[in-house]
Amino acid sequence: MRIAIPRLGRILLVAIQQDLSDDEALEFQSNLLSTIAEIEALGVVVDISALDVVDSFMARVINDTASMARLLGAEVIVCGIQPFVALTLVEMGRGLLGADCTFNLEQGLKSLQRRIASRGDYTLAEETNELII
Amino acid sequence: MSIHHLVALDRLLSRERTQIHENWVSEILTSWSTLHPNTFDVVEMRQHTSHLLEEIAKIFSAYPGVGLWEFGQTHPLVRIMSEFSASRAIAGFTPTETAQYVMCLKSVLILALIRELIESPTEMELNLAAVEDVIGRLTLVTFSAFVETRERIILQQSASLVELSTPVIRLWDQVLLLPLVGVIDTARARKFTGNLLEAITRYEASVTVIDVTGVPVFDIAVARHLMRTVDAAQLLGTRVVMTGLNPEGALTLTKLGITLPQVITRATLRSGVAEALALIGRRIVTVASSPS
Repeated sequence: MRIAIPRLGRILLVAIQQDLSDDEALEFQSNLLSTIAEIEALGVVVDISALDVVDSFMARVINDTASMARLLGAEVIVCGIQPFVALTLVEMGRGLLGADCTFNLEQGLKSLQRRIASRGDYTLAEETNELII
Repeated sequence: MSIHHLVALDRLLSRERTQIHENWVSEILTSWSTLHPNTFDVVEMRQHTSHLLEEIAKIFSAYPGVGLWEFGQTHPLVRIMSEFSASRAIAGFTPTETAQYVMCLKSVLILALIRELIESPTEMELNLAAVEDVIGRLTLVTFSAFVETRERIILQQSASLVELSTPVIRLWDQVLLLPLVGVIDTARARKFTGNLLEAITRYEASVTVIDVTGVPVFDIAVARHLMRTVDAAQLLGTRVVMTGLNPEGALTLTKLGITLPQVITRATLRSGVAEALALIGRRIVTVASSPS
């Protein structure tokens, strides 16, 4: 299955709707990365509220994707982590280091906007016009 | 006291030298037929081969026997061949094409000898062995001279790569820019890191923008070099903004477990510069009465 990556201005929204196989997870990672690079995204919100189980591989993919996105200059927010998933991640000794987490998509977008507004490139005219406020 | 066995070769090289030379040149032209005709001058080659044949004839007339013949570095033939080989290497010939030049003479001489000595196998054997010996060694000389020249060229290029300047640019008060372009190896990394640290202390820079848009290959080695540069810069108390990383670069760094938590990363130099200015409390604004 291919995960759609809709755009909101220079923000990308990704919702992982079902459990991914390892290959699918890696494909999603590279698609997201090339899209970030292509549109010079300022932020990414990854919604994983549909995931009931996150194994260690998936946790690593989400983590890696977050740090890669950050290296490409995008702010990353992961939202909708289920309590059980959070427990698993902590048990595995994996916080989501590369990203901030929020409870739901709305908070995720708000928090992302705050973070982008505090960035230096927010002062560049084009960027501000492209943001959703 | 050496016994002179090579009557036949001597005879051939004096009586039929012109013919042998012609055959040799046409052999070379055949084997080089795929080459671009502008890469060598036929007239010049003729003179060169004729001179070479003269020297080879001298060797055969004083030939002491297989394995007894010394071929020092000062021998005129070695000199001629080395110079020729070096010039080919610079002109961009392949080692094979360069070696073929001498090898062609071997087949010409062998054919002539077989025709000449078809009646006396013993003598033929001696003469053939001598041809094998002399031309074989000449080929080796050609080859090693070729390789030496190539090595020298490679060394010069490596040296000039290190010299490829990586300027540290003063972008604004307290803001430095280090644009990295090209292949980053240990020597270059050491050089630009040194330059950068010096500039940071001289200008008391509080922000350094490192732009890696021009770095084509982002492998483990490059990542490590950059990590060192970033760490050293941060030790001096400057904030580092890294710009222009491509997806492959991001992938490499992450796979290595390098997340650069204290480095601000931006997609383009443009947003990197905006970030650096924001860090020193400046920003670029539109002036109402712009002259343009």
